[in-house]
Amino acid sequence: MTEEPYRWLEAIGNRREYVREQLKGGSPVFAAPSPEGILLLGVGTGHSKVFELFDRHSLAGLGHPADIEKIRQAAIDAAHLEAFNRAPEDVSLRRLVAFGLSPQLKTNFEQIFSAPFLVELLLAEVAVEPGQDLIARLHFDGAFQLHGKGVVVAASQPEAELAAQTWLNQSLGPAGKAERSEVVEILLQGWWCLTENKPFDAGLPSEAERRDGWRKAANGRNVEVGWLARKGSRRARYEELTLAQLGL
Amino acid sequence: MSDPSLIASDFFSLLARHHVSPLRAAVSPDAPVQTQATTVFAFHFADGVLMGGDRRATAGNIIVTDRVDKVLELDATSLLAIAGVPATAFEMARVLETSFEYYRRSQLQSLSLPAKVRALARLLRENLPMTMQGVGVVMPLFAGVDLTVSPPEPQIYFYDPLGAQFHAVGYAASGSGATTIRSLLSFQDRYGRPRPTQMNLQQAVQFALRLLMTASEFDSATGGVNPEAHTFATIKVLRSSGVEDITADRQAELLKS
Repeated sequence: MTEEPYRWLEAIGNRREYVREQLKGGSPVFAAPSPEGILLLGVGTGHSKVFELFDRHSLAGLGHPADIEKIRQAAIDAAHLEAFNRAPEDVSLRRLVAFGLSPQLKTNFEQIFSAPFLVELLLAEVAVEPGQDLIARLHFDGAFQLHGKGVVVAASQPEAELAAQTWLNQSLGPAGKAERSEVVEILLQGWWCLTENKPFDAGLPSEAERRDGWRKAANGRNVEVGWLARKGSRRARYEELTLAQLGL
Repeated sequence: MSDPSLIASDFFSLLARHHVSPLRAAVSPDAPVQTQATTVFAFHFADGVLMGGDRRATAGNIIVTDRVDKVLELDATSLLAIAGVPATAFEMARVLETSFEYYRRSQLQSLSLPAKVRALARLLRENLPMTMQGVGVVMPLFAGVDLTVSPPEPQIYFYDPLGAQFHAVGYAASGSGATTIRSLLSFQDRYGRPRPTQMNLQQAVQFALRLLMTASEFDSATGGVNPEAHTFATIKVLRSSGVEDITADRQAELLKS
């Protein structure tokens, strides 16, 4: 098959379709920078979706739990080795994604006789100053985009993901909101609209509907909120927050 | 010992797999005069465990520096105090710090206190060739929170240079000034009013600073404390809720009041 280029292209196309189909229905995840740090959010049904990677780094993803786990472990291994051999300050998200995870995902995706990774990921790095924060949107085929500002969404459908991201950025403003509970409230409204296939244009449900909607939909599910604090006395800046802590 | 790469989720194994294990270097017979770090101690007080140390490092009769931090925070519930050769001790601290955090992040749970205590013993055993040749000797103290009891309790451990670990009931000290400090701690524990375990934070910090002042009178390698020159100790407090660093300014304030 690989000797015939057109069949290889066809196989890759089929593979892309297969991955998208498998990811359909995956619960989206969010990363929102703010003046005090970066907030990550995911809503799951048992398996974790938001993780600490290193001192100033975290990951959120949707997809097959075993595949998320493989990527998470690879990122943790790489970050700790880098920190040990050089220094914790040398662990950078750009290098981790561009030279570590992305090539691995691309290679795996193009090896058409092995199972592809069923993942869509967000990786975040909190910096000393808000303008230097970095959020990476990493796709199952190794493609990635680096975002220096604004909310970033990872969802299974690219069009809906872009629409949700645009709406969330308009709602939270260019610098992000300082109050974490406010950020989580808006992200959960966005999550509900995405999972319920609501439009983000003129047909967007009212705020009351959105507030009511996410509460009902999240009932019985696990809302995970990860917080990367910009300042702190300890090197590890990641903290898990509960909705009760946030007053929601 | 057996192949360390067989242990899953173990940072030492990850280092060995990548051939970057830092504590397995060959020893030169022509070792230079070693820098030594003394004196460190830990004792239980009413709030938890206080771990302290002077800030002097020496090489023979030379004072290398009076600004060493010998009490190190390994993670949110572990402290390490180093006495001996800083080159080896700081490397051990770095390995442990990365190792504990690596385990916590990869396994989504903290390493247990016994496992942390043994991890340090393992590093000391791996340092055995250096120890037997008289270079790179390290005799650390370790404090960690035992999360298996309710409420969680901070505990103190001390080690011999070969890696044997001992649980200290009330206190422990290591380094060249340790003899003086252990004597004072023993006296206070038996006859003192208040006893160390009854002291509040202010009393414990004052007591710790006076221990170092006294030790420095009998041991030139112990840096001591000089409030007039704003020279204080490194002091950290381990409670079941976490670690608190008692800064030099805070020590000055607590010593005065």
